[in-house]
Amino acid sequence: MVAFRNSDPSGRTSGLLLRCVLYSLLALGLIIVDKRYQNLADIRRWLSIVAYPAQLAVESPFAGWHWFRESVSTRDALREDNARLRAELRLAQFHLQRYEALESETVRLRALRGNTSEVATRFVIGDIMDVDLDAFRERVLVDKGAHDGIFVGQPVLDAGGVFGQVARVEELTSEVILISDPAHAIPVQINRNGLRTIAVGTGDTSRLKLPYLPTSADVVVGDLLVTSGLGGGFPAGYPVGTVAAVKRDPAQSLADVDVRPAAALDRSRELMLAWLRPSEALPASPSAATPAANPASARAAAAAPRKAGVTPPAAKSVKPPAAKPPGARTP
Amino acid sequence: MMRDDPIRRMPMALSALVALALAVIPLPAALDVFRPDLLVLVVFYWSIESPRAGGLTLAFMSGLALDVINGVVLGQHALALTLMAAWATHLRLRLRVFSLLSQSLTIFALLTGYQFILFWIDGATGNPVTSFARWFAPVVGAIIWPLLAGALGRLNER
Repeated sequence: MVAFRNSDPSGRTSGLLLRCVLYSLLALGLIIVDKRYQNLADIRRWLSIVAYPAQLAVESPFAGWHWFRESVSTRDALREDNARLRAELRLAQFHLQRYEALESETVRLRALRGNTSEVATRFVIGDIMDVDLDAFRERVLVDKGAHDGIFVGQPVLDAGGVFGQVARVEELTSEVILISDPAHAIPVQINRNGLRTIAVGTGDTSRLKLPYLPTSADVVVGDLLVTSGLGGGFPAGYPVGTVAAVKRDPAQSLADVDVRPAAALDRSRELMLAWLRPSEALPASPSAATPAANPASARAAAAAPRKAGVTPPAAKSVKPPAAKPPGARTP
Repeated sequence: MMRDDPIRRMPMALSALVALALAVIPLPAALDVFRPDLLVLVVFYWSIESPRAGGLTLAFMSGLALDVINGVVLGQHALALTLMAAWATHLRLRLRVFSLLSQSLTIFALLTGYQFILFWIDGATGNPVTSFARWFAPVVGAIIWPLLAGALGRLNER
């Protein structure tokens, strides 16, 4: 045979069976211990530090290519980009004027009701690493880990809306489960009428489904779904998706509703990992702890001049929490 | 041969590392399901070529690396790879004199067994992947086996 040197013709593999049984028992033991008891996390974290260089080595050519493409982009392309971004910024600032008024109103109303507002108070930007995990599960690897204060269950957003949540934290990286993973469900609310339900992943990044709505439910194509904040995992009011199709079969008791996710699940490269309450933001990295000191009162104070009749340009310098990410980037 | 052992471990570790890197290299989603288990094929090759240089240890370690990188329950790939590498070692004398086609068919059986153990542990640990696409990888693996064995044989001769 071409491929083999036949250099080991003796055929003696002393103790093959013994070694096979030993290793198999070891592996079985690992599976059982890892599944039943959660105390292998340290070993796993330690092993992942060993695996990190391999992942980094695979990722670096792609990161280098991105960097190269950015640094050789032409003047025209940059100018075009600049003009587009300016236009987008103008539009965003236009929306912001209303947002601040609404925000202060919400804070006042919630204060009246004695409600604790679960608004995301701090963000850290994480880059998706160009590394493929299991092909059959909707997961991505992000370059922030326990080192940056990331915790399991942390909500993850992108520029469009809710992206997923942190499923596993290693020392330097963490694994994010997408809202489109078949094992993921997120409590949502229809923005138009407040109807609450649960959006479940399908394994397809362009589709979620609402399996628990009765056929009589008031849902139409184009309805915006936002997080309801129930369950406490996600901050309330962030867009999850829009209803793309509603099928009502009179013979069934439940409607068949398809949702198109608001986040660019298959295209985003930068994600925002969010902290819900100031108390969770404190033990993380010390440099970013200050912006989250007392968000409610800070925002109420910031909104006060607007009520007093200050013109919108003056209020532009005040940033709401959603526009904070570039400033909150950890070192 | 005993005197060859230290020389032989070098290409072994090198090829395993390259295969591990190729296992996580990003591919378009449409191609991802066809990604062959290269590291598994490499482990099979060394189990057949030089069983005394520690093929089973390589199998166990590679399996652990795959577990950590894929983020699945620790020991899953390690168990599957150990069992299948032991089987490949058991079959090695026959495999060496097989024609390329018979070799590929045997490798297909081994890869399918490997996938089946993964499938079974996935189910037993409560996150079953029932997609039919997971059975594509053994087919692709069996098809590229002659190329891989040739390349590794060349590497080993140097």
